[in-house]
Amino acid sequence: MRLSDSSVVIRPRTPWEAMDLGVLMARKHRWLLVASWAIVSLPVFIVLSAAFWKYPSTAMLLFWWLKPAFDRLPLYILSRALFGETPSLRQAVRQWPRLLKGQLLSSLIWRRLSLSRSFVMPVSQLEGLDGDARQKRLGVLLQRNGGASRWLTLLGMCLEITLWFGAMALFYLFIPQQIELDWDWQRLAQATGSQALWLEHMSNAFYALILAFWEPIYVACGFSLYLNRRTVLEAWDLELVFRRLRERLGSVAPLLLLAAGLMLMPCSRPAIADGANPPKPVSTHAASQSIKTLLEKPPFKNPETVTRYRFGEEKPALKNRARGDGKLPAWLQALLDNFNGTSFKQLAQGLEVLLWSVLAGGVALLIWRYRDWLRTFVSRRRPRKPDTALPVPTQLFGLAVGIETLPDDIASAAEQLWPTQPREALGLLYRGLLSRLLHDFNLPLTNADTEGQVLERIQHVQQPDLLAFSNDLTRHWQNLAYGHRLPPALTQQQLCSDWRSLFNAGAAQ
Amino acid sequence: MQSAPLDTRYQIETPEGIDLPLRPAGLLPRALAFAFDLGVRALAMGIFLVPLALLGNIGIGLGSLLLFLVSWWYMVLFEVLNQGCSPGKQVMGLRVVQDDGTPVGWSASLIRNLLRFVDMLPFGYFFGAVSCLQHPHFKRLGDLAAGTLVIYREQPLARPKVPQAAPLGLPFALHLGEQRAILGFAERQGELSAERVHELASILATPLQVPAAHAAEQLNGVARGLLGPT
Repeated sequence: MRLSDSSVVIRPRTPWEAMDLGVLMARKHRWLLVASWAIVSLPVFIVLSAAFWKYPSTAMLLFWWLKPAFDRLPLYILSRALFGETPSLRQAVRQWPRLLKGQLLSSLIWRRLSLSRSFVMPVSQLEGLDGDARQKRLGVLLQRNGGASRWLTLLGMCLEITLWFGAMALFYLFIPQQIELDWDWQRLAQATGSQALWLEHMSNAFYALILAFWEPIYVACGFSLYLNRRTVLEAWDLELVFRRLRERLGSVAPLLLLAAGLMLMPCSRPAIADGANPPKPVSTHAASQSIKTLLEKPPFKNPETVTRYRFGEEKPALKNRARGDGKLPAWLQALLDNFNGTSFKQLAQGLEVLLWSVLAGGVALLIWRYRDWLRTFVSRRRPRKPDTALPVPTQLFGLAVGIETLPDDIASAAEQLWPTQPREALGLLYRGLLSRLLHDFNLPLTNADTEGQVLERIQHVQQPDLLAFSNDLTRHWQNLAYGHRLPPALTQQQLCSDWRSLFNAGAAQ
Repeated sequence: MQSAPLDTRYQIETPEGIDLPLRPAGLLPRALAFAFDLGVRALAMGIFLVPLALLGNIGIGLGSLLLFLVSWWYMVLFEVLNQGCSPGKQVMGLRVVQDDGTPVGWSASLIRNLLRFVDMLPFGYFFGAVSCLQHPHFKRLGDLAAGTLVIYREQPLARPKVPQAAPLGLPFALHLGEQRAILGFAERQGELSAERVHELASILATPLQVPAAHAAEQLNGVARGLLGPT
């Protein structure tokens, strides 16, 4: 073994850090370790399951019991990989039968339940020690880090169980919904016969898979703990640096030999800053005394006297508290009795109301705080849409359309006006229409609308009668107003009767 | 080896050019710390809930508040207000810091602790454990999201004992690592067997121009010289 080839940084670590290094080592060779473990262990698992098909628990127990035999393979791979000779998967698996020789029985029988199993495994497998020599070695190794190795095994057990259940839960979650399964816990617990066997063997298989992931890590942690213990015991890190130093100096040795010969001798005695004419010797005691007096002086310490007024002693408060303490049990008893009373129920309700209102207030405050943000990014409405109703105009294109300016019965008034003042009559009808549109149909007409735009808006109301009438009336009104062409007498009658049927009937209803 | 050797250290270089080696903590001490915290929380809940149960409605209300506080804020409050240490981490000598080594803040601590519920999926920290074992700096998913790191705290060191020897200078310059190794040799002699001390020292016997038998003494002298007057 050549320490300088090591693929990990060798230095003394705390036990936990040493195990972390093991996790890193396992991570680096994860694929090789998991694959080799699976290749070796899964066939054994399948054979065991088949042999003990009726007794799944026995199969699992046997598989669990055989773990030390499988563990030898990851340890072999890691020990080779430590010095940069990582074997290929094929080489590693081929080595396994050879690795099983030597102390297999003892590791499977009386050493199986040892809590520091992974920590001491390298002693028998890598150092090849047995019997008394092994015991002596373990005595030295286990002086420290033994507790950590036991924690490793205990935590490893918990982790195995956790990962095992986790893997099963994950599998259950990934069953597609199309596969109808009416599994529930009671049914699973009470399942009997072949179905139960099948389920148990499946959960055993999950355990075997989880072991393929975890067990190499466990072995790696134990191995790195062992490495760390030996690093501390044998100062491997120092050896490494010393060897490098010798190499470095060896390359410039011929020059140095002369220099060293010349300089080492005079250096050897007065190496520390002793000058040519040494000052009078100072004893440590006297020196520390003078240092202390120096430190008490101004540049280091600046004592300052502060005078201020204080209130009297603070004893009364203490006395009060002492008296209070004496009464406490009775007072507490009374309070406890009170707690069952109605007053505290009210207090609880008050507290509840307070908490809810604080929550509501908080939410309101939050919304208020981000109101602009919400309006910009969340609101569906157009931001600039005027949502306040415009004041209803009293005039449209110079025509007064207020209700009060119109007669009650517009049609009759128009009929009376037709013979003498046809312009006013038609104007009255048109004003009446606009007024109705404004007040009855709430059309948002503005002073800027033209007659055509008014008609467009009427289309949105979706009343064919109204639209036809409005088209008619508007056309005649425009002819009269801008072209000075009177509608024929028949049309006059028609408009008035249409008006009545449209609006007066609506009003009658 | 072509790649850099594996190490558990996490190096940060500050803008001033100072290397800060942090030591990220792996799954096992963190699991123990979590178990301890869980125990503390269970104990606290037990102690507080029994008297609260006597108080009827108000007790149930206060108990629910307490449950909320303990389950969601215990870790966050301890981590932010106690320099990244919950009691369990304190016991195990761990500490939470940001990725750049600065103390953990409210947002990072909240994220890493709220995401415990992702780490817990689908059963008992399955994802968290797998992520912890697979990540080079042992981060669980919450740590990844929050950009935090769990490290070992620096423990106060006991003053090491260096054997008495006459201080010596060397005719050649030593690198920092070599100086440290020689000091370490002097400090750790108590833990090493005499044969091993001799073996180690004899490696350097040739460059030191001394017979192998006196190399250890010579190295102690060099260590004294490096240490300076004490």
